[in-house]
Amino acid sequence: MNKNAVAMGDSGLFERIVKLGSVLLVAAALWAPADGWAQANMVTTVKDDQGWRLQVDGEDYYIKGIVWGYSPRGQNYTYNLWGESDDFIRKVLDYDMGLLKKAGINTIRTFSMVPPEWVTYIYREHGIMSVVNPLMGRYGYNVGGKWVPFTDYSDPLTRETLIRDMRAIVEQYKDTPGVLMFAFGNESNYGLSWSSFEIENLPEGEQNTAKARYLYSLWNEVILAGKEVAPDHLFTIVNGDIQYIDLIAELVTAQDLLGSNAYRGPGFTDLWARVDELLDLPVVFFEFGSDAFNARSFQEDQVSQALILKDQWQEMYNKSWGNGEEGNSIGAFIFEWRDEWWKYLQIDNLDVQDTNASWSNQAYLFDWAPGKNNMNEEWFGIAALGPRNSEGVYEARPRMAYDVISEVFAMDPYTASKEDINLMFSAMDVDIYALQGEVRQLKAENSERKKMLQLTSGNIYAEFAFLGTEESIRTDGKEGTDFSDGQMIFVDFAFNPMERIEGQFSLNILGNVARKNPLMFSYMDRGLPTIIDAQPAVPPDTPPDQVPPVTILEDTNRIEIYDFNTKYQGENLDVEAFYHTPRFHWGYEGDFFNLVQEATDIIGIDVWNGKAPQGIEFAGKGKYDGLKLVAGSEIFWGANPQWTFKYDFNFGKTALTFIHQEEVSRLGEGANATAPTNRVASKTTLFADMNITQNVKFEIGGIISSRERLDDVYDFVDDQGNIRTDQIEFEDMLGLKARITFPIFGQDTYFSAHSAGLVGDGGNPIPTFGVTDPTRLPYNGLGNKNEFEAGMRMYLGKWLIYPRVMYRDNLIDANPLIEPFINPDGTLNQGTSPRNRDEDPFAVLGNREARSGEVYFTWDPTGATPFYDWDNEWREDAPFAFNIGGTYTEFPTATDSNLFFLPIAGGNVPFGQGLPAEDVWSVTSRVVFNVGRSRYIVNLARGFDQSTGDPEGGTRKFFDVSGKAFLGGKHLVSGYFKKDSWGPYDFQRQFNSTFPEQYQLEYAYLLNGFGSIRSVVDEVFATQIGFRVIVRTLDENSGPLLVLSDTSTELSDYDFLALFFASYRF
Amino acid sequence: MRKDIRLSGRASSLTLLCLAALFINGCEGPGPDDGRPSDTILLPTDTLLNLACEKVGINDEQCVLEDPENPFVFTPISEFNNTTGDEGNKFDLFNSIPAGPTGAKARFYFWATALARRQSGENQFYTALALHELWDLNSDPVIQEQALKAYRSVLDNFFGSVTVFTCCEDVRPPDDPRGPVPFPVGLNELTADNLFRTNATGFRRLVEGDPILVLELLLEWGYNYRPANPPNFDDGLVFVITG
Repeated sequence: MNKNAVAMGDSGLFERIVKLGSVLLVAAALWAPADGWAQANMVTTVKDDQGWRLQVDGEDYYIKGIVWGYSPRGQNYTYNLWGESDDFIRKVLDYDMGLLKKAGINTIRTFSMVPPEWVTYIYREHGIMSVVNPLMGRYGYNVGGKWVPFTDYSDPLTRETLIRDMRAIVEQYKDTPGVLMFAFGNESNYGLSWSSFEIENLPEGEQNTAKARYLYSLWNEVILAGKEVAPDHLFTIVNGDIQYIDLIAELVTAQDLLGSNAYRGPGFTDLWARVDELLDLPVVFFEFGSDAFNARSFQEDQVSQALILKDQWQEMYNKSWGNGEEGNSIGAFIFEWRDEWWKYLQIDNLDVQDTNASWSNQAYLFDWAPGKNNMNEEWFGIAALGPRNSEGVYEARPRMAYDVISEVFAMDPYTASKEDINLMFSAMDVDIYALQGEVRQLKAENSERKKMLQLTSGNIYAEFAFLGTEESIRTDGKEGTDFSDGQMIFVDFAFNPMERIEGQFSLNILGNVARKNPLMFSYMDRGLPTIIDAQPAVPPDTPPDQVPPVTILEDTNRIEIYDFNTKYQGENLDVEAFYHTPRFHWGYEGDFFNLVQEATDIIGIDVWNGKAPQGIEFAGKGKYDGLKLVAGSEIFWGANPQWTFKYDFNFGKTALTFIHQEEVSRLGEGANATAPTNRVASKTTLFADMNITQNVKFEIGGIISSRERLDDVYDFVDDQGNIRTDQIEFEDMLGLKARITFPIFGQDTYFSAHSAGLVGDGGNPIPTFGVTDPTRLPYNGLGNKNEFEAGMRMYLGKWLIYPRVMYRDNLIDANPLIEPFINPDGTLNQGTSPRNRDEDPFAVLGNREARSGEVYFTWDPTGATPFYDWDNEWREDAPFAFNIGGTYTEFPTATDSNLFFLPIAGGNVPFGQGLPAEDVWSVTSRVVFNVGRSRYIVNLARGFDQSTGDPEGGTRKFFDVSGKAFLGGKHLVSGYFKKDSWGPYDFQRQFNSTFPEQYQLEYAYLLNGFGSIRSVVDEVFATQIGFRVIVRTLDENSGPLLVLSDTSTELSDYDFLALFFASYRF
Repeated sequence: MRKDIRLSGRASSLTLLCLAALFINGCEGPGPDDGRPSDTILLPTDTLLNLACEKVGINDEQCVLEDPENPFVFTPISEFNNTTGDEGNKFDLFNSIPAGPTGAKARFYFWATALARRQSGENQFYTALALHELWDLNSDPVIQEQALKAYRSVLDNFFGSVTVFTCCEDVRPPDDPRGPVPFPVGLNELTADNLFRTNATGFRRLVEGDPILVLELLLEWGYNYRPANPPNFDDGLVFVITG
């Protein structure tokens, strides 16, 4: 052998081959993953006469699991860790998995699908396995291109879709190292909410069972499909407790073990025996545990949580293999790892850990009381959600339960005897763990000063503005430009001085203020020098040094409270005070006429340094449930000081809502710089909401409005052209509105009618399909109309189509201008002129006669991120989605005169003439592309439309294109080009200020990446550095404006602003 | 959770039916018998003025719009519009009120109405002048007091305001498309002049006696007045007393 080798080794070629081969072998040996890490794990269940065991790659494996997720403060279910940079994901996983590993946790279950590469990373780096658990339509699903909020498991297309999609997921993960098993759904038997004609005809008691049969048979079909793809893996369901165990036994025969979420308190009672008897399968709890908040004492309760978990694990260990009992426990997942602060209201109070209990469970006796909720959804973590650490990862602050399970998990229930197990549990010194937990909690509280005051976050912003006009440069050269700088700091605090009181506020601190107007307005130039008195009259020849100086305040409002919110939670009443924090309308709470409007556009309000909304809300609960009162100086943007009372009650099967809104005075200033204030008008409404059949809904409401206008005199021109006068009567205050919603060919269809007297005014209507409605119909809340509307929302595969028509007539038309004159005999012909809402009891404005039609086509293959959602810009995940549509409106009559607020006069001023009768139209389109980690959004608009106030300058065709690109998760590029359009602010349309061309380009480098942005507020305050350039050309229609100092348009062909900015969020 | 209120199915149906009937009927516009014709109004020709409220004709008081004697309550009085350049009909209408004592009361209502709708120095000044004229005719001390209040309001609330006159047909003939030459005059000067000089208005001085008493009154109000000199009486100056 050696001889041959030597002989062959003489050959140069052979020698080179051997050397090369040796190198390759060494390299292969070095690079090859260790045994067991290179491929999918072999996971099986084994049964013998002592019970069941789970085995991974031939070794016994007891699941010491936890439900894991990462939800930062201020975020909710929309947060996607996997959209962050790889570097940040790794930091989060290393931090969290390190703590899990330290406690002996060996498996995680997640609600978000962990991408395969990260499943493997968690397994290889931390030795923790994962359950792949698609929710299988539990919280809605996209079926045939349509998002279905309540999955109908009986629907053939739904079943086909779910089987196909689940199979695809199994295919994707089956070779991934670190996958322990596949589980489907999440207590889906609690979500049998769909309705169908066939099932509704069954006796009530059989309806859910009939639905459940569809669910369980589908579960089995999904598992069978999965096993076809991955026969060597384990499959199960996630059932709610052991409900329908008979159906499970009958229908889910393919599963390898029973997965169950069990909240039975400290023990699991007969669950083991029943599963053993009826299923003969091992059991894994995919959720169990306890919250760490005591709803009775209203404080954190680490001890109760830990003791319940200790008892539960002790029972599970006793029920595991080899202990002489059922032997069918093979492990479980504690719910959950870290508190999630979004779970109570889901989209509200995300920066604050809510202490509201949302459901009742008598099995948790430590804080249960009859008629009270005791399960606090935001407190289920065995670790509290701490602040961010130096790497930007939100800390997990272990509770006492963490220490308890660390000791529990140190023991292997398969190898330990029953005696050893129970000795360990009984010998556990829980007092020490309680002490450790308390010390840890005190340290955390001390570091955050949670009980009194804590700094939660903030933002430091700096900018440099370079402003100029063509005229100033032409005249003064380089000196004709203006360079200024600005700095601003936000500091956010939370406070929790008493158990039932918590809140937050932000301070805003100004440094210098950059001069940006008239191209940009921000905070209404708060902090810029203010002239507080006019210069007195002096003789023309007065020497300059004797002219009395004007008084100028240089440092105004440098520090102010930017927003404030606090809430008291009582037994039967919650009280919330709010100041410049977002609030939602009551449209979904029976406010059919939208008297309490939404105030969520805080960024828009900030443009004018507005402080809306402001007020206090009392919400009854318990014995005062259904009562609500809100009062304040401006409860939504532009609202008069008022109080509004609401009472919800049932009338047979009809849900009724009574609302009374009493305005007590008039707002001192317009909602923005020039929006008119409104005369005081009180309103009372009654609304009834009834389901006539399962799919047919009827809503009807009546209003009595503006009783302050009773007997007010108005004039109008009759059919013969004569001017007549009349007075407001009771019937002029009434309004009636109804809407019926029903399916036509399965599509959402509605018809609505609204009849309102001359002053039967409501608030601005909410479109029928709410915030997801693309409509541009000319809605208006004012009275003096008979209005009819019909529309549909049609799901056709992945297409979504909204066709709609509206017809509106006025009871009395706008007044033309008929000049008054005085006859030589001294008699006065009074004439008339367009009304305005200050001097006349009503005016024809946005409620003018209209015949309008529209259709919008939408292609959106990912219904879980609806295309018209307010945050779609930051969430849309379709590779390609778009819409296109248009609205055409015929306005056959002119309007009365709009008003504007004139700050120097401290009141409204009418434009003096109305908008003419005219046909207007618009066509718009929005296109979204997702390519890798980049997103591109393009908006197009072409139209012919009128001003909202001043008709001077006429109506012009305009064209807008704007775009935004999130590139590689770090770069944000945006911009627009507008031709013959109004400027970007509302007042510019109000004054009909248009610009021949407008350009904007902005670039920002997002230091924390795109994944941290979920709203416009996030985008504005993100940690970033960038620039913005705005250039616009000017003509005679561009100004000057009466109330805002836009004087640059008289002599210049263009003006511009270059802005460099840096922002740091902490 | 909503509170339950029980009602029989029949009552529910009846309620629904009533609502539906009301709805189908809908709201209707005015019929031929609705309202009343907007008649021509005979302007007041007397000179007896009953004040509608204590501050009628003074800045930011609107009670004149509720005064049943006011003929201009529903008359559109359009002002000069800064945004459109529209001159409005205000002076056209004003100039067509009969001259002399028969139009004095109408002139007050006209300007007081204009002031209530648009708070401007010009409207306040002409309201004061109309009250001045009425007092000259009826010697009512209440009107005298009101006229003084109105003049003072010009100084207190509209010190820097002007009214615009036109002139100079020799420079721009009447057919010049640019119109006559406008020139602004400070209302503080006109106010003081009206109080100080009988010839400025053609009416008796509101402050009877020696004209020096006018200067004292103005001092009391917080203003120094350097009277205008003949022949044009256009160089008077009013100072605010500061400190």
